[in-house]
Parts: sequence; structure tokens; C-alpha cells
Amino acid sequence: MTPFPLVVDNLSFRYRDRQGAAIHNISFEAKPGEVLLIAGASGCGKTTLIRCINGLIPRSYKGDMSGEVLVFGGNVKSWKLSQISQKVGTVLQDPERQILGTKVLNEAAFGLENLGMAREEIFQRVDEALNFLKITHLRNRETFSLSGGEKQKVALAGVLAMRPSILLLDEPLASLDPASAQDTLDAVRMLADQGLSVLLVEHRVEDVLRINPERVMFMSEGQVRYLGDAAGLSKVVDYREVKLPAEQIVERAKLDPPPVAIQILPGATKSASKDDALVTFQDVAFGYESEREVLHGINLTINRGDVIAVLGPNGAGKTTFVKHAIGLLKPKSGSVIVDGRDTREASVAEIASMLGYVFQSPSHMLFAPTVHDELAFGPTNMKHAKDQIELEVKEALKMVNLSEKENDPPLALSFGQQKRVSIAAILAMRSRILVMDEPTAGQDYQNYMNFMDAILQMPAFEAILFITHDVDLAAIYANRVLIVNDGRLVADGTPQETLHDFDRLKANRLVPTSLLAMNLKRFNETGRFMRAEALAHI
Amino acid sequence: MLVAWRYRKRENSFIQSFDPRAWVIFYGCFLFATLSFWDVRFLLPFFVIAVFVLLTSGVKWHEMRRAFLFILGFVFFFAILTFLTGRGGTEVYKQEHLIREFRASFSILGWTPALKITVERAFFAVSQLVRVFSIAVMTILIPYSLDPALYGITFKGIGLPDKFAYAMDLTMRFIPTFGRDFQLTMDAQRARGYELDKISGGIIQQVRKLGPIFVPVTIHAIIASEDIIDAMDLRAFGIGPRTWLDVLTYQTRDRILIAFGVLILAASLVVGIMGYGSFWVPESLMKMF
Repeated sequence: MTPFPLVVDNLSFRYRDRQGAAIHNISFEAKPGEVLLIAGASGCGKTTLIRCINGLIPRSYKGDMSGEVLVFGGNVKSWKLSQISQKVGTVLQDPERQILGTKVLNEAAFGLENLGMAREEIFQRVDEALNFLKITHLRNRETFSLSGGEKQKVALAGVLAMRPSILLLDEPLASLDPASAQDTLDAVRMLADQGLSVLLVEHRVEDVLRINPERVMFMSEGQVRYLGDAAGLSKVVDYREVKLPAEQIVERAKLDPPPVAIQILPGATKSASKDDALVTFQDVAFGYESEREVLHGINLTINRGDVIAVLGPNGAGKTTFVKHAIGLLKPKSGSVIVDGRDTREASVAEIASMLGYVFQSPSHMLFAPTVHDELAFGPTNMKHAKDQIELEVKEALKMVNLSEKENDPPLALSFGQQKRVSIAAILAMRSRILVMDEPTAGQDYQNYMNFMDAILQMPAFEAILFITHDVDLAAIYANRVLIVNDGRLVADGTPQETLHDFDRLKANRLVPTSLLAMNLKRFNETGRFMRAEALAHI
Repeated sequence: MLVAWRYRKRENSFIQSFDPRAWVIFYGCFLFATLSFWDVRFLLPFFVIAVFVLLTSGVKWHEMRRAFLFILGFVFFFAILTFLTGRGGTEVYKQEHLIREFRASFSILGWTPALKITVERAFFAVSQLVRVFSIAVMTILIPYSLDPALYGITFKGIGLPDKFAYAMDLTMRFIPTFGRDFQLTMDAQRARGYELDKISGGIIQQVRKLGPIFVPVTIHAIIASEDIIDAMDLRAFGIGPRTWLDVLTYQTRDRILIAFGVLILAASLVVGIMGYGSFWVPESLMKMF
């Protein structure tokens, strides 16, 4: 009998409706008590591997599968999903979509209820799982009222109550603020220390390295490119592909030529009146319900040339604040002035010609049969002339490097490409200010860095504002950082001014990163925050 | 699935003092009993019950204001439409007694617009208003008053199999999630200059112009349901009879409520079979015109 809880032997899989294999000849084993970090670019086969192990492939996702997945020596191919789920627990990427129970207790009990267990045993196991994750105080809370980190732990409790020996986590940190991500990772470490084999798929490699995973697997194009200890990872992968700790990047980048400096907002500096206010918030307060205010006294001016990062915990009011800038929400008191007009007196469509808003998920807006039609939608609504629309569409496609996809259906593109289409749709409207809600969510490191480089160098914009959970993204791309917490503007200043106080970061559920620490240490020398590759050459 | 109906535990709420199964059964009886009448005299007791339940529900006006105004607007709009056009009513009355007729002073292609006010139309509009209002009030209170955590066990408790009961539970909880996605898409398209209130053209053209809303909402709903199915499969849903963690127990008052509901329904059916309860207009009023 095999000593390993999980053995994957020469595993390959091709989805029925796609060409080419999603994963090729993957072999490894997972030991009890280890955290195995699985990293790699979007589309490299990580999720397919997880689906093969938890049995969704071939049961829910059909295709050609070869090789074996052995759980405690048994081939899962012949097992029922209910059998697998008692040995292999899976936590999906978005806890919002995984949580089915209305109360924490019901959620944690869901799997056990399905197995038809006695109620006493269910209560005992649920309490055990909640206690283990130190969330007993949440037992009777309604799941919709939980914070991002709490939701992820509750999803984990629902899986742990089934007492699996192997735990699969598919990008569990994707939607979490830094402090919630750290809480979740601490829980994962604790589980592995108790003897579980944990397979953790994650783009946020640097964050996971903090909990000392025993091994790291790096995948590329459906194959394993590296499998070994964490220290070895930085030697074999390109530091531009995976976000490594800043010290490791500096060490590696020293050997390469310095990165090409990007010119941020080339369009904004052309203006004669540099300090013109584009958007002004004057004492803005707002509440969705009359008795509960969620934004309190926001005062702020967005000036030409500003690249603003908005940081803050889940549920702090960041999106509510930003929706006021385009007039989707109108203040209960105070006013928002966009290009000299009060948003109460202008329609969203009118404001859109000045300020373009890119929503977090492209799937909330893409609808047209072709990318061309998708991009023409905004300018057509704004009654631009037909010839002008054609020109705007072509230019926008060129800027996001998608000219060859003009006649493709946007919904058939990859997530990263869809995100670029959603940006191009705003570009085509010739908006002067770009506002993005978590532009990097769900994208891998290399993709989102290229994406941000491209956006910031576009000549079309006079100011950019983006909401993010990524402290490093704020530090290296923004020239102004806002911290929003509990509906209040807690900090507003240059990245150095807002991010140097680690106690303040902690109070706002932000976690200092190695790159931030390095930038602060070398600030006297550099005078501004830079990416690690650039710091390597100073 | 993490958007909630506006339920909360309300002290001194009449509706919440019952077992949810008892209330659902009573609601079903009330619904079918109300639907079996057009006679406003028979509909009035149902109206009184609905108003009583509303006033004792413990739901504050500001909590339900938007939903209530929407439903009231809807009910009044259709009652007035019926009154003005007479459509719908002609199925329940054959003869009309004219009170007054207004004729336009102009003609369009030989047709002169006219508005006939008849005793039957007026009474039909009142009956329709009372009937639909009573049902709407009882329906609107459900999401405010029934604990979403008990939807599944409630449906199971009234006899549905496990899978159906849980499916009903998920469906009811999916409605507010769907509403949130709809709003998000609406906002995303408005940010691209799309204005729903400015849609014009023929019916087909208007439906086509709703594509920017319905395509993303549908795609999102499909993706979300795939994730939900995965999450359920991965935790052994549907493999056999399931245990329901929550337990509901009938009290005497619940049995009384069910008995009352069944009695109302049975009495209504009997009254209907005996030929009472159909559309009624006071004789004296008809004689006047």
C-alpha cells in the first residue's frame, strides 16, 4: 500500500470541446502534513489538475483522461463523488459562490447533512471544525454578513467538517484583502501541521511563501516545470512570471539589463493648466438605506496627472465611493463635481464621456457578438459620428493589443483578454479619466503587470484611479494613494506618505510587503517607489 | 448566493409567531380561496385578513417602502387600465350599464376615441383591486418574515422530496442574487452611455436593445449556477436521503392556523360550487342607469 495520501501518476486531460491537452503527463505525490504550493500563469492547467483530483473531471467536465489519481492507494476513477469528497476537500476560488447555507452553522453542516449523518454527530463535527479554525463565535451568524476572510474560513469549515485527509484550495486569496489573506494562510498552515496534505493553487506566491510551504510546483502549458523546495523556485522561474519576494527579484534582476522606464500618463502632461481639478468630492455622505450611512464626509479632488490607488479592506466603501464619481450613486449630502458639473444634474451617460468606469468583472458588461460591436456600443450611445466610431474602435483595439480579435466574440476570449476588451470599450468612448475596480483580480502576475504598464502609458487619459488590494501595485504605479476604511478617507498622499506607517496599514487590514519595505528603506536614495527590477540597478 | 432577503427576527410579529410550514400552507389556502372569487363582498374578508397580517407583521414602513410602492403602483395601474378599457372584465359580465360616455371631439381615420364609464367596469376595477391587493400583501410579506435558513426544511416539511426542497430553497435565495447581478450589469452599461428609458422603436427592436442587459445577466447566471453545482457535488449533494439540521415542531396555534386555512379554502370551493362568489354588482346601482 502506498504511504502517500495522494499520488498523481502520468495524468493527462483534454477537455471535450477544446483542442490540445489542458494538462500533460503530470506525476507527483502529496505527503501528510505538507503544503504544496501550485503556481503558474492563468490557463497553465492548475484548475484542471485540481478538478481531476477532486473528481469533477470526468464527472462534471467531460473529455479524454489518461493516467491515474490514487487517494490512499485507491483509484478515484472508480469512486463515487461522495466517496471522494470524504477524503478530498475542495475550497473554490470565490467563497461567495461556494457558500450555500444562509447561516454559518448550516453552511458548515451542508456536506454532513448530504451524507445523511445523525444530527448529534453533525453538530459535534461542525463545532469541532469551527473550533479548530477559531471561528466558533461566527456559528450563528448569517453568511451574507461575514467579511471576506470570514467567508473563506467558513467555506473551509464546511469542507473540514467532512474530515478530509487532502485539502485542495483553488486560488483562495483572490478576492481577499491582505489581512484576510494572511488569516486564511495561517489557517492553512495550521491544518497542514495537523497532518492534512494541502494543495494550494495561488497566484500570490510571495504571500504563500510566508507560511513556508514544504514544496512548490510551478506549471506552464499544462506541464510541471518545477517541483521542489521553495528556495529552488526563484532559480528556475522567470521573476517576471511569478511574484517572488523583492530580495530574490533584486538578486536575479541584477544579472539582466535594467527594465525600460515607462512614461506614466503621457497625455496628462501636455495640458497647460496642470493643476486643473477634474473631479471634486465635497463633504460627500451616502447610505443605501436611510438609517445607515456607509460613506462619511469624503473630501477629495482628482487632478490632471493623478494616478490614484484606492486601498482598504473588503466592505470599506471603496466601490461605493468610486461609483459616486460617475454618478451611478448620488450623494445623500454634499456634492460631486465632474468637469464643473454636479453629478446630480448630469446623467451617467453625460458623465461617461468624461469619466470611464471599468467594472471588476468583464462578464457584467460584455454582450455583443463581436469585439468590434462591443467597442462601438459606448460611442454609439454617445451619438458619435459613424466614421469617428470606426476610428475610435480601431485605435482602442490597437492600444490594448487586440486588433486581431476585432471580429471574435468577446465572450469566447480568455479572462485577461476580456478584461482588455472592457478597458478598450471605455477607451473607445474617449473618456478623459479612467476608473478601474480591482483591475488585476483574477489575472496572473505577468499578465497584470503588462496590463498595468500598457494602461498607464496610454496617451488618452488625463487621470487614472484604481481600486486594489495589492499594496505593491499601489506603491509602484500610483503617484497618490488613498486609504478608505469604514466609509471614511483615512489617508491621502503620495505612496511614501500613506504607506510608510506600518501601524496604520495594519489598522486598515493592509500588510506591508517586502517590496514596500525595500522601497521605504531606499527612499532617500531613490526619491520614489520603484519595482524590484528597477531597484536592482540603483 | 450571499445576498439576503430583508428578513430579520421581529418581536411581536403575528406572522413570525407561526411555524413557517403552517404559514406557507395557510398562504396557499388563502391564495386559492381569494382567486376563487370576483364578488367584492366575498373578497372583503380576505382584504381584512391581509391588512391585519400586514399591520401585525412588525415590518417597518421604511423597510418595505420600495417594494410596497412598486406593487401598489402595479396593482393600481392594471385596475385603472381595466377600468378604462373594459378588457378582462367582459369575461365575467355580459351586460353593461352606462353611467357616462366621453367622446373625443376628433376622429382618427373614421374612429372616434371614446371612454365609457359603466357600473360593471367600475365594480370590476374595485373587485380586481381588492383581490390583487390582498394577494400581493400576503406575498410581499413572505421574504420579510420567513427565515431563509428554514426555506429548505419548510418545503421538505410540506412534503417535497429532499432535492426539490433544496432546489426551492436555492431558487428563492437566488432571486436577490439575480437582482444584484442585474443592477451591476445595469450600472456597467449605464457607464457606457446606455439609457434604458430612452429605448425606442418597434417591439422587436426594443427587445433587441435590451440585449446589453440580458446577455451579461444570463451568462453570469449560468456561470454562477455551474459554480453552485460544483460546490454542491463536491459536498455529496443528492447521493441519498439527507439529514436536515434544523427541526421544526408544530404547536397548537400552528395546527389552528392550518385548520383555519383549509376551512377557508374548503368553504370557498363549496360556495363557488353552489354558484356564489362570481362577479357582483348591486342591483340598485344597475337600476339607476
